[in-house]
Amino acid sequence: MATVFKNLTNNDITTTRTLLHEAIPITGSILSGTYNNNSTLALGSETNIKTYSHGMFESIYDYPYLSSSANHIFDMTMGYGTGSALSSSSNTQNTKKINLYQQLAQVLVGFTTGSSDIRPFDENGDLTEGTKIKECFFLNFSRLLGKDEIKKGSFSLELGVQAPWSSAADGGTVFNTRIKITDASGSTGYKVNSPVGEYGILYATGTVNQGVADVPVLWTGSAEIVEGQKVAVGLLYYQTGIAVLSGSVFNSNQGTIAGVMSTSPGILDDILCSSSFLGSNFGGPDAARPTQGSGFNAITQSSIDTISDALRNRIYNISFNNTTELNSTIYFCRANHNDFNFSANPTYLSSSKIRVKNVSTDAPVSYVTSVGLYSPDNELLAVAKLSEPLKKSPETELTLRVRLDY
Amino acid sequence: MAFLDNSGDIILDAVLTDTGRFRLAKGDGSFKIAKFALGDDEIDYTQYDKNNASGSAYYDLTIMQTPVLEAFTNNASSMISKLVTMSRNNLMYLPIIKLNEESPNNQTTGIVAGFGSNFFYVAVDQNTENEVANGTWTSGVISGQTLTQPVCVLLEQGLDTMEIPPNVALDVDLVEDQYILEMDNRFGKPAKKDGKISIASPSFIDDDNIASYYFSLAQTPGYVTNEWPTKVQGTETQNINAARIRGPRGTQFYFRIASSIDLATSTYLFEKLGGTTSLDFGGGGGAQTYYFIDSNVRVIGGTTGFTLDIPFRYIKLQPS
Repeated sequence: MATVFKNLTNNDITTTRTLLHEAIPITGSILSGTYNNNSTLALGSETNIKTYSHGMFESIYDYPYLSSSANHIFDMTMGYGTGSALSSSSNTQNTKKINLYQQLAQVLVGFTTGSSDIRPFDENGDLTEGTKIKECFFLNFSRLLGKDEIKKGSFSLELGVQAPWSSAADGGTVFNTRIKITDASGSTGYKVNSPVGEYGILYATGTVNQGVADVPVLWTGSAEIVEGQKVAVGLLYYQTGIAVLSGSVFNSNQGTIAGVMSTSPGILDDILCSSSFLGSNFGGPDAARPTQGSGFNAITQSSIDTISDALRNRIYNISFNNTTELNSTIYFCRANHNDFNFSANPTYLSSSKIRVKNVSTDAPVSYVTSVGLYSPDNELLAVAKLSEPLKKSPETELTLRVRLDY
Repeated sequence: MAFLDNSGDIILDAVLTDTGRFRLAKGDGSFKIAKFALGDDEIDYTQYDKNNASGSAYYDLTIMQTPVLEAFTNNASSMISKLVTMSRNNLMYLPIIKLNEESPNNQTTGIVAGFGSNFFYVAVDQNTENEVANGTWTSGVISGQTLTQPVCVLLEQGLDTMEIPPNVALDVDLVEDQYILEMDNRFGKPAKKDGKISIASPSFIDDDNIASYYFSLAQTPGYVTNEWPTKVQGTETQNINAARIRGPRGTQFYFRIASSIDLATSTYLFEKLGGTTSLDFGGGGGAQTYYFIDSNVRVIGGTTGFTLDIPFRYIKLQPS
């Protein structure tokens, strides 16, 4: 009996799960410089930066966002908790900054057991005690980049901390001194006590110093970080693709700026936090903004967009590997020696006579270029093409491994 | 679609078809892969040089260099010619499916003077049928609205060779006992050849509105028969001559096309997918303007996989 189909048995079908990784490099020039029309556009007006009338976050694209070729790569925002010393009703966008912190803390950290109190971010992941991160930046990576999750241990963010601030886009020296923030232990140790999956601790180390002789010098509390040591500066939520960066990365280890205000101690040496260091948006104390200290303290009198711009211009690069969970079904299409040796191709016959034979005892030959996978009612559900024709004759058996990814 | 890179190892480029994705999205369990088939759409077997003086290694040199296209996602565009499993390898002949236009009732318009282009016309409404009927009913025109005229499509299956006489029985394993008919569901449905209006029901309709119908010797005797008429035009001799299959015969497949309500009552599809043409069916009123849509009906041998596309032109008299 002639037939064109062969049934697949359970032994011909298997399923697999593969983790696929892509390297995602985000260079600082995309974030600041490339799309400012040769420095003619003001900070925040670059063509790849989308801001919103609500002013709660800004979106960064890899190309001018009005173009259909543009891809959304991540969002930036920041906030502080209700327990932060920075919280004050006189602050710019005070409610929005609190709401943003609370919203993300609610989603990423959850609630205190048995109550509706939102837990603050914790520096070392121990929710019961330890230092809380009360002021932070948030980098929310798009699903296009993060895919199913950020690969643990692959995240790296380098920030320029050169003093005084001058735009790299204008040939300035902002990146001459840098700190590097990584989830260094993510590949071996990570936390699982978040309602949204796994997260790792972000640690900072000094990397490049071409500026002030004894910087970058990082501190943790009153202790200076020596070579090989690192200091916790945030959290990275792998599945949600959100980096929570403590405001301490731009604060002085003294916690006080020239007597202007007292804040939580930061990680930078005090010398880096002079009034001229972080530039206008991170600012030093001045008459116009008397309550501003250095670094993150500037958030009090600046809008979220302004601070986002300031951080964006200090990002030297970001890189990580994403992960895609590929669930596959593999169909082993086995053509035995006596299967599929003839063809219904119109050119196979000449006046019903098989072209590839001289006499009936010659072995029939056919050539495979495609594999069709069919439903029980003969509907073509999937098709696979070979890169070149494959000869099939009674002398050969083939097993074609067709993988469908979901 | 581009060609696949064939410079290295053999790779398989697999995609879900649009029907596959459609069924997956339905989530009703209809996405179930149960069988496979192998295809050779790109292969031109006339390039097989079995007399190459350099030896057997050179017989298929050209075929093996055939570039292969990437996979199409349209389910109707792939796997048109399939490889066939036969229970024996010593076959020298394989059966085909062939259109028989010998009888006036089975002719396409291509052999009717003045109608060119080997179509079967389908008159989609009563007005069009009346205009055709004003003269002598033209061969090759199916009365799609009323199905009162005997014009139908006749397909024959067997060995189309002069080297084996037709009175030799076709081997049982080469007899096609099932036909699959695929056509655009918006235009019509297949119907039996006899005078009674009996319209087939589709087995399924895919996402592109292509309906599939199954006809078999056992289940749908009005369509498929292995009892070749003893007298087509009067005598047994004429019968043998009338058959277009010149060698041993398998089965015959008859059908007509009943026009859809959309075509009978609206010009929307004609204006969107077709055009207008001038035809004179000899009713004395001269040439009239007709809307038309050209389309194919595909018939596939359910067992042997042989595929035949038959061109149809749906016509509708344009109101004057």
